[in-house]
Amino acid sequence: MHDKFRRCPPITDLIDYFTSNFTFILGYTWDHIKLVGLAIIIAIVIGVPLGIYCSVNKYAASTILQIASIMMTIPSLALFGIMIPILSLINEGIGTLPAVIALVLYSQLPIIRNTYTAISNVDPDLRDAANGIGLTTFQRLYKVELPNAMPLIMAGIRTATVLNIGVGAIATLIGAGGLGGIIYQGILRTNNTMILAGAIAVAVLALIADLFLRLIENIFTPKGVKK
Amino acid sequence: MIHFNDVTKVYNGNVKAIENMNFTVEDGELVIMLGPSGCGKTTLLRMVNQLESITDGDIMLNGKSVRHSNKIEMRRNIGYVIQSNGLFPNMNIEDNAMIVPNLLGWDRKKMRDRFNMLMELVGLKPDEYRKRYPHELSGGQQQRVGVARALAADPPVMLMDEPFGALDPIIRTHLQEEFLQIQKELKKTILFVSHDIDEAVKMADKIALLKGGKMMQYAEPAKMLNKPANSFVAEFVGQDRVLKSMSLYTVRDLANALTLKPVMESPDSQNINENLSLRVAISKILNQEADQLIVENDNGTRKGSITLDLIEQFLHREIKESV
Repeated sequence: MHDKFRRCPPITDLIDYFTSNFTFILGYTWDHIKLVGLAIIIAIVIGVPLGIYCSVNKYAASTILQIASIMMTIPSLALFGIMIPILSLINEGIGTLPAVIALVLYSQLPIIRNTYTAISNVDPDLRDAANGIGLTTFQRLYKVELPNAMPLIMAGIRTATVLNIGVGAIATLIGAGGLGGIIYQGILRTNNTMILAGAIAVAVLALIADLFLRLIENIFTPKGVKK
Repeated sequence: MIHFNDVTKVYNGNVKAIENMNFTVEDGELVIMLGPSGCGKTTLLRMVNQLESITDGDIMLNGKSVRHSNKIEMRRNIGYVIQSNGLFPNMNIEDNAMIVPNLLGWDRKKMRDRFNMLMELVGLKPDEYRKRYPHELSGGQQQRVGVARALAADPPVMLMDEPFGALDPIIRTHLQEEFLQIQKELKKTILFVSHDIDEAVKMADKIALLKGGKMMQYAEPAKMLNKPANSFVAEFVGQDRVLKSMSLYTVRDLANALTLKPVMESPDSQNINENLSLRVAISKILNQEADQLIVENDNGTRKGSITLDLIEQFLHREIKESV
């Protein structure tokens, strides 16, 4: 027993663990996907419009980006912790809700900043041409600016997603479930195989999510904008 | 018709970019605004479609004040071409060219026909370019599409901001000539910004020469070259203004105005088509290719011959006439 923490589990242990606990891990993975997926969708719905707003209001931009940056500097564990007393007021101190809120806050910076930069960097001549031929502000946004900004906006969403899959592992500490549960149980039982299995599952999920989002990006990026 | 009525533009409360500008671009006329950078020519152009606001005065576009028009609607009725062509990278060539008709809600069939017709007009094969994207085209081809886009909804008025400025000289000359042909056919009312005096002399019906937000001279190219209103105009059009003015006349103009000399066969004589410019004629003579040029029409019939002193005589006469 005493040398359990010093010994790296042999690869066969790991394979055994994965095969014998397949459905168990799959369940945790699915929880993790639901948690992060929900958080990212909400983060996009909030972050992309905020980023667009930043590009038209430079004054608001510095304030909004500042706040989003501060969110990022809060250690994830502390952010989850802060959620508990605040949401206890509505009896939701632990569970999915605080975890989702924390993840949404956490992913705002890459999404807002990339959207803001992408829209701001659209060639001013394109904006000029769009105005000059009589596009309304809204038409200019969805016909010209957003399509040309798409690769950079998607890059921000990808960064946020990968980040959230990692941070989401800690959400298990406030009872939100997910792959962090396997790692946490591994620590409690001093079971290195479990810790490693959880970590690998998180990493693989992050890689798959990134690949999946690249695919989405490829679909949504107009042909003429692809390099 | 574009009528500038006491137009003034003031930046930051005290910097006057345009001062009391008054002039009129008549229907079907191509007017080129010329001047050193910072003279306000682009600002003035952008005030017409309200990309720049007007501080004082007004611009009347076909009798309607641009200050009181609906901006969006008005801009859709003005063809707009800019130097960098401003094609949208995310749209294919057909979508780019047809963006205004699309906004105006034309049906598919009408748009397709219009696209085919316009592409032929600007010298590109419609089916070859339809599905391609701007970055796949050369600068010259992109600018042709830029012109096609501006013409798409058949606007009566066009604004062109150095449309050929970013192209290399050979392509630029091509496009200038092609555009003149298109203009001959379509007779649009065009306000055009340029910094190139040669381009202006070649293309404009009238030139508006600006300096520091003020009009220096507004006149036909020949008049501006032969009779500059002040020393700034004289300097801007250049010491070689007489030579420049010769590109405005053809050999035929001279033949119609003066009696040609009789044809004398000599080994030093050369033939010249009467449709060529006097600038070409004088180059040929000065280049010592010939001391007399035999004027021929398209059928090769000889009409007489011209010499250096005959050209000189013609220019004196023209300068006197344009006074």
